[in-house]
Order: sequence, then structure tokens, then C-alpha cells
Amino acid sequence: MDEETERAKRWEGGYERTWEVLREDESGSLRASVEEILFQSKRKRVIKSHEQVRLGMMRHLYVVIDCSRTMEDQDLKPNRLTSTLKLMEAFVDEYFDQNPISQVGIITTKNKRAEKLTDLAGNPKKHITALKKAVVDTVCGGEPSLYNALNLALQALKHMPGHTSREILIVLSSLTTCDPANIYELIKTLTSLKVRVSVIGLSAEVRVCTVLTRETGGLYHVILDESHFKDLLMMHVKPPPASSSSECSLIRMGFPQHAIASPSDQDAKPSFSMSHLDSSSSDAGLSLGGYFCPQCHAKYTELPVECKVCGLTLVSAPHLARSFHHLFPLQAFTESPVEELQQGDRFCQACQGELKDKLTFTCPSCRSVFCVECDLFIHDALHCCPCCIHTHTAR
Amino acid sequence: MKLNIDGLLVYFPYDYIYPEQYSYMLELKRTLDAKGHGVLEMPSGTGKTISLLSLIIAYQRAFPLEVTKLIYCSRTVPEIEKVVEELRRLMEFYSKETGESNNFLALALSSRRNLCIHPEVSALRFGKEVDGKCHSLTASYIRAQRHSDPNLPACRFYEEFDAVGRQVPLPAGIYNLDDLKDFGRRKGWCPYYLARYSILHANIVVYSYHYLLDPKIADLVSKELSKKSVVVFDEAHNIDNVCIDSMSVNITRRTLDRCQTNVDTLQNTIQKIKETDAAKLKEEYRRLVEGLKEANVARETDVYLANPVLPDEILQEAIPGTIRTAEHFVGFLRRFLEYLKSRLRIQHVVQESAPQFLKDIFDKVCIDRKPLRFCAERLQSLLRTLEIVDIADFSAVTLISNFATLVSTYSQGFTIIIEPFEDRTPTIANPVLHFSCMDPSIAIKPVFQRFQSVIITSGTLSPLDIYPRILDFRPVTIASFTMTLARTCLCPLIVGRGNDQVALSSRFETRDDIAVVRNYGNLLLEMSAIVPDGIVAFFTSYVYMENIVASWYEQGILENIQRNKLIFIETPDAAETSMALEKFQEACENGRGAILLSVARGKVSEGIDFVHHFGRAVIMFGVPYVYTQSRILKARLEYLRDQFQIRENDFLTFDAMRHAAQCVGRALRGKTDYGLMIFADKRYARADKRGKLPRWIQEHINDGSLNLTVDEAVQLSKHFLRQMAQPFRQEDQLGLSLLTLEQLESEEMLQKIAQIAHQT
Repeated sequence: MDEETERAKRWEGGYERTWEVLREDESGSLRASVEEILFQSKRKRVIKSHEQVRLGMMRHLYVVIDCSRTMEDQDLKPNRLTSTLKLMEAFVDEYFDQNPISQVGIITTKNKRAEKLTDLAGNPKKHITALKKAVVDTVCGGEPSLYNALNLALQALKHMPGHTSREILIVLSSLTTCDPANIYELIKTLTSLKVRVSVIGLSAEVRVCTVLTRETGGLYHVILDESHFKDLLMMHVKPPPASSSSECSLIRMGFPQHAIASPSDQDAKPSFSMSHLDSSSSDAGLSLGGYFCPQCHAKYTELPVECKVCGLTLVSAPHLARSFHHLFPLQAFTESPVEELQQGDRFCQACQGELKDKLTFTCPSCRSVFCVECDLFIHDALHCCPCCIHTHTAR
Repeated sequence: MKLNIDGLLVYFPYDYIYPEQYSYMLELKRTLDAKGHGVLEMPSGTGKTISLLSLIIAYQRAFPLEVTKLIYCSRTVPEIEKVVEELRRLMEFYSKETGESNNFLALALSSRRNLCIHPEVSALRFGKEVDGKCHSLTASYIRAQRHSDPNLPACRFYEEFDAVGRQVPLPAGIYNLDDLKDFGRRKGWCPYYLARYSILHANIVVYSYHYLLDPKIADLVSKELSKKSVVVFDEAHNIDNVCIDSMSVNITRRTLDRCQTNVDTLQNTIQKIKETDAAKLKEEYRRLVEGLKEANVARETDVYLANPVLPDEILQEAIPGTIRTAEHFVGFLRRFLEYLKSRLRIQHVVQESAPQFLKDIFDKVCIDRKPLRFCAERLQSLLRTLEIVDIADFSAVTLISNFATLVSTYSQGFTIIIEPFEDRTPTIANPVLHFSCMDPSIAIKPVFQRFQSVIITSGTLSPLDIYPRILDFRPVTIASFTMTLARTCLCPLIVGRGNDQVALSSRFETRDDIAVVRNYGNLLLEMSAIVPDGIVAFFTSYVYMENIVASWYEQGILENIQRNKLIFIETPDAAETSMALEKFQEACENGRGAILLSVARGKVSEGIDFVHHFGRAVIMFGVPYVYTQSRILKARLEYLRDQFQIRENDFLTFDAMRHAAQCVGRALRGKTDYGLMIFADKRYARADKRGKLPRWIQEHINDGSLNLTVDEAVQLSKHFLRQMAQPFRQEDQLGLSLLTLEQLESEEMLQKIAQIAHQT
């Protein structure tokens, strides 16, 4: 019997007290209080994002993924590594959806070393294929090295221009790190270079991460379970507030038009996209249409991209528009206790469900009342109040 | 904020208050009102010190005639400093609120080693050396000699203090040790003597236990303190041991050899003096005939602390004729010494009571009880007369004479055990005479009798009712307070079985069982994989730890643990341990993670706090029973049974559990802190053990966590650590475990507070 099947047996894994989640809360106030705390932090996140702050629209983010021995732990299904990589795929997708003109790179760390999985790039496809490959290929082992990973990321990030954000997001499963030098020196360097480091812990709170995130102004969270993990990861999709000291500059951007030569046109010849030059995959076929760089006329099939020839950032207008809601967010709804409403009116305007929680949320402009869930949905996904839109169109 | 505690206006220097602090102050107020003694238990990290200080100072201001002084006894110098800092904060708050500078004088007192500013003397490293050197510069006859010979060295700080220092009292204010030194340097006065002089009129004195409990020091320092003082013993869970240690004497062959040299020196000095200055000895003789009348006069005015070494009746009598002249006394000492030497020349263990010893000494060398009783006093007098410069050299003979006085004074509560060798090394002859005190109430009795209120407080005093019994006093309040928590930040788990269902226990019969050792190793290994940063593991003794670690090494467990965390070990050597501790903290700090293996009752378990990341988990391997084969302990148990009707087992369990509670309490030092407390022994699940843990730990042990296997414990711990890592802000505590003034005054909260104090 080989080791693969050996590990997969259910009784080999740890106890799971799934029933404890469902336990009624009469003895310990633990669960209720923690949930309360989580709920409040959720609210806080929504409220906080509506302060008038400057947000960095061009982000450079390195994601560090711990691939040490502890990632084989099966408390996330099927194990921590696979679960993390899967969520990471979703994260990359969402990240480029919300931050179209930003870049991401992925670093893995194991066996006391750190290596790049992908370089900083603006193309989600490349990252996702790399992540998919990693799910199959990666063998976990040894200890991670926080120092090496941070250093590797720093080498690339420190050359990035000052008007962009420099961020590192670490997904750390291990509780120990094996460092070749004093990490506190490195933290000082990171702070001076304005690199913001955030950490998501998969097992427990580690001191060095607390210090690291506090000094560099990042966030530190520890997951409770898979869905919480996802929430925490998605939190990093939103751009962080730019520090007031960061430079402002004008950047050149190209807005290429999509042009398709009609097949009837005799002059039209299929051509390669420039971005496929370096990719070895064979599916990069010839095509007739594409985006043409307004400066040098190189052809690309996908946006956003940095022109290989002249280095111009090419985006489409909708991409920029999608970053728009970060700049003009929906106002926070006012909280009020449910008792203020009359007995018959306790229904959410959006989902029509009964208001059971002790708090309700009112849109300040149209005075409609919503439940917590809808409030979160409206602020996270819709970015506009459905009732306001409704009255607007009706008028 | 300003509080109304049962009609008393109390200034509290913080904006928020824990409900248990309020409750604590209520109980304290009741104790002071009744002018009685109290035993109060409140978890560490809930602000005991500030509650004590705020209330007692408020009381002192409100009723200046009822309570004139607060004597705050703590254990170590850092703790003393901490108390003074809290006090400073409180006083700043007072002057800010009332707008007037108050005339409170508070000061800390410590040994000469910590207070000396003489450039040469303070450079010495050991306390004894400093004391001896200081004495050689400042003793009265040295200074008298200097009048005739001004070239003799002097301490200018003391001279300055002696000349003018006593005329003006120390200006009001708060003085910690450094402030005293600064003040001393500025004025050119000796800070030590200044502090000793100033405690007489200070409102608050903060010093070590020994200044009240050790009869030798208490006599010097504390005897003139006012009767209307409130005495607080903080961290007092070990107070009985402190009392016993201060009254016990151990005599080895080395002590006797050094004593022999001392006696020879005395003899020579007497000879010399006799040739030069016979009048001096005559003068002394005359004084001794008069008896200790002067001392007697002082005691009659009822301001002195009764000295347990020198009971009242001695003072009524004159020194007996047999030891009145110096030569006779030295001869007497010689005989006594020879007798002790002969007693140490034995092959088997002897245990006898004080009367038996006295009878034997009378039969063998014809020494009567009476001269023995005066031995200590007579020696002091002789040393004074002979103008011995360096008292420290004579520690051996002082020890012997103290022993002589004690053994002839107390027929009850002491035992004499002579062992030819140590139990661990039966082949090496190393005879020791233990004169051991078995009754802690002897040393502390004068304190209880003299002062109107004595408060005994600590984080771990459970079970509370045993302290009044062994210290023999009647408290007016006994209360235990719990910790109100917004989140359950402590997680006590009792691990009773290994994964293979082998019962885990450090019982003598199973402690060498390979299965138990392996399972203990397994527990540590699994915990090292899931607990972040620091873990502290306690064993029951050094020997046990060595055995276990050795077999873990053989089984390869140690190697596996080291993949997760570094391992540090406490040793009996203090320097080595402090080095290990330093590296341990460094490893926790930079994320490598570390485990500290230490022993219950060791230095680490008593004095070192593992806040936040330094101690995320404490594992207690086994129940830390004291070494029960020791004869001293056996004698004490017997005494407790006969005198106080405390069964052996009750006392042993009580002692083990208070140490276990001390150990696990190291991890949790406040409400924002969190930590796992793992009791790895199935015996902890039994009601008699569990019931002796402090209430604030007990109430978090639910039935589900009584007899866990290792991996059940791991699952619970994982869950706990993740919950605790969620962000926790002050607002979450407000209203539950942290109160503003308005919240405190609400009717509902006052009712809740009434339930916090658990009266027994």
C-alpha cells in the first residue's frame, strides 16, 4: 500500500467535532461572543471602506504561499494546500476583476527556501494555470522561511514606481519560520520602503506576524474555517488606502479599439498576438481581430496588458470604470435597533425576509430598510442601493 | 474615576474598572472596618495591586486616626518597583483631581546592596559582602575610634546623614529605590539609613517579606512601626514556607569548622584586649549583671514588635553567671561546639525533639538550658565589646548561637533531625543537622498580634480555609474572586490518557513506565505542532525531568519536537537558567518558537511571567507533590496532624495543587492575554484535586474536558487558538468585564458584582 492512500483514510485524520458547531449555546458564551465580534468586524469593514480616503489604484501584490509540512494538515478539505490554491485561483480572478490595472506575483516557500511561482504580471490566465499546475505538482516539506520569502518579494517590489502600492500577502500555515538573519532588520527595511505586508494565518496567532503587520500597516487575521478563510482572502481584493506620502504622477495609458477585419476584406491577414510570443502553449492561434496598440500597432487579444513593444499600459475603458466604485463608494447605511420599526413593518426591502437580527440598516437617501445580509451584499457586490435605483428609474 | 465604596470616596486612577476590582475593594473595606485580618484571592492580571492601594489610601485619608500606615510586603525587587510605580500613578491622579499637592510619603526599602551609593561598597556583588563592608565603615565603635584616629576610612554618606539627615524628615512624595539613591546623591546622605529612618514616619512602606517575618531583620528594621498599620502580604501563597525558613537552621560540618575558627579568633581578641584594656571587659560584665533592663523598658511601652527569638521572660532576667565573663563564654561556646561535632559524627539518622536534645546536652557536656537561651544575646554583646569590624566573618558562630537560643526557647513546634548523608548520595558522608521549624505561625504570630489588619492576598490561595489554620489566626473575611471575561481566554484541559488509552500519571509506580513516558512525549510533540511561539512545560522535579528527557532522546521524540520548536531546559544553576530564559524569549520573539522545560517549585515557576506570546500554553506533567520521603516533611506532616488536625494527604494535595496552580497561572497575566493550561495527569480529574484549584481556573473546566486523550486535547486546543486569534478590542470588553463609572453604578451590574466574591 503506497503512502498516498494511506494518508487518505478518514480515521487516520484528526477528530472533527462537527457537532460542536451546532451546539446550543447555554454554557459557554464563547461562540456567541466570537460570532458577535466577527459580525462587528464585518460591519466595521463595510463602514471603514466608506471613509473618504485615497485608494491606490495601481497595485503590485506578491502573494506568498506557505508550502511547508504543515500544509498537509487536513483540517481544511482535502488539505490545507489544495484548499489554499483553489481559493487563490478565485482570489486572482476577483483581484483582476476589481483591480484591472494592477499586477500580482506568486511566491512559494518551503524547505527553508523561497521561490517564485510566477513573476509580477497583469495577466490572470498565467497565474491561474500556474496555480492549477501547483495543485498537482507541489510536494510539501520542511519549514517555511518568512525572511527569504519577504526578501525575494522585496527585491522585485522595491523597483516599482512610487505612485503604485507595494504589497505582500502571506498565507502562513506553519507556526515556525526558519530565517537566515534577523527578521526585525528586514521589517525595518520593509517599513522604510513602504511595503505593506498582510498575513492570513491558517492555524494560530504568531508573534512575529503580529509585529510584521503592525509595523508595515498591514492586516493580520487567523482563519476559523474555510468560509472564513475565503472572506479574509477576499478582503484583500479591495485596494488599501494609499498613504498620503505616496507620490502622484500622470501615467500614459493606451485605450486600443477592438478591430476585426471582415473576412471579406481581401487584405486582411490573420496575425499572432504579441502576448503569445513567449508562451509555449500552442493554442495561441492566429486570429483576424484584436486590440492594436495606439502607439506601435502591436496586436493583443486580451486586455489589460503592458505592450511588449513600446511598454505602454493598454486598458479598456470599462476596466477603469470598474475601479470607479472604489473612488465613489456607496454611503454606509445607518444602523438602528429593530425595535424602532413598527411590528408589521419588519421586513427587509431587498430580500423581503423578516428582520430577525437586533439591528437594521437604513439607506440614508431613500430610507429603505435592509437586513444585515442584504446590507453586506449591497455594499460588497452591487455598490448601489436597489431602492434608490428603483425610484430613480420610476421617475 | 471616583468610586463610592460602601460610603467611602475612593479615587481610582483609571477610566475603566474591572467588576472584580470593585468587589475586592468592598471586601477590603469591610476588613478594615472590622480591624481584622483578611484572606483574599484574586486572579493575577486583574489589578490587585491598584485596588489595594486605592482603597487603603482612601481609607487612610478618610480616617487618619484609624489607619496611620500601610506596610506593603512583596517578594522580589521588581515587584516592589512595580508597586511603587502604581502608587505614583495613583498619587498623580490624586493631585490632579483634588488640585492640591498631598503630603503623602511613600518609599521602598531594600537591602544595602540595592541602595548603597558608596563607590567602593556598592561595587561588591554579594549582599553579605556589602553588609559587612558597610558595617566596617559605619559601626558605632568604629566611628568612636575615628575620633582618636581620623585617618581611618569612613563612609561620608553615612556621616553626612548622621550629622544632619535626621533633623528634617524626607520631603513628601513617592520614592522607589532609584529615587532614594538620587536623593541620597544630591544631599550626600546614605539612602539606606535614610530609608530605614524614614519608614517610621512614612505613610506607605513597600518592602520585602523578610523585614517583617525574619526575626533577625524584623528586630532591626520594623520594630518601631505603628500599631495602627495595615499590613499587606502580596503573592502570599508561599507565606508559610517563608515563615518556616526564617526560623530554621541547618548546620553542616563546614559551618562547625568555620565556627571553630571564629571561636579561636574571639579567644585571641579577648586575650589581646585583656592585656591592653581590661576595663572594657569589666564594664561589659557590669552591664550584663544589670540585665537587659533597657530592652525591657522599651518593650513595656508596647511599641515594639515582639521578637520571637527573644521571648519576654528572658528580658526579665539577667544573663546567667556562667557565661557572664568573656572567657567563660568562649569556653562555653567551645563546649557547645564540641558537642555538636560529636553529634554530627553518626552513621544513622537521628530525630529528636528540643527537650530531648537539651537533656542529652546536659548529660554529656553539662550545659544547662538557661545559658543556652542567652547565647545569642551574649554573643552580640561580646562582638560589640570586642569591636569586631567585619561582622560577616562571624556568620557561622552567630548561626550557632541563634540555634542555641531557639532550641532552648521553644519546646514545641521544632524538631531536630541529624542525617549522616543526603538521600540521593548515600555513599558520601555529609552530615547535616536540621533544626527545622514546623509551625509557620511562630514567626508570623507577632505580626498578627501587633498590627490591626493583616491582608493576605495572591492569585492562587485555594483552598482558602487552610491558610488561617496553618498560620493560626482568625480572619474576618475570606473571599475568592473570579475573573469576569468577555471571551474565555483560558482553556484548562485535563489530559488523562494517551492515544493508546494508557493512563497518564506521574505516580511513583508508573513514572518509569515506558508507555507513560512515550505518551507524555507525544503530548508535547503534538502541542509543539499546533501552539504558536512559546510553550512552558513543568515537571515535578529535576530528577524526573532528567529521566524523561533522556528517554525521549532515546525514542527520537526530542528530535521530532525540535523540528517544530527549539528546546530550553531549566537547571538548578541560576546563571544557566537565566541564559536559557533569555534565548527562549528571543526564539519566541522572532517566530522560531520555543519550549522551556522547567520544574515546579523552581525559579521559573515562581518568579517569571510568561505574558502573551511567551506562554501560549503551559503543560503540567504530573502532580507536583513535594518529595514525601524527606524527614523534615514527615515531621512537619506529623506536627500538622497532631496540632492542627490537618490530615497528611490534605496538606500534601493542597501543597501540590497550589504549586500546580502557580505554574499554569504563569501563562495568563491579564484579560487580553490568552493561554492553554494542560494538566497531564489523570489524577487531576478527581474531585479532591480539582476542588483545590483556584476558583477562576476551576469554573472553566467543564465535564467534557476532564479525561481527554492527547488528540482530543489537540483538537480542542486548535479550536481555542483560532478563536483567540480573532481580533479583540477594548470595546468588546466594555460593559462585560470592563466598566465605566456609569456602567458600574447601574443596578444590574451591582447585583452581578455581589456574586463575584465567593465567601467561604
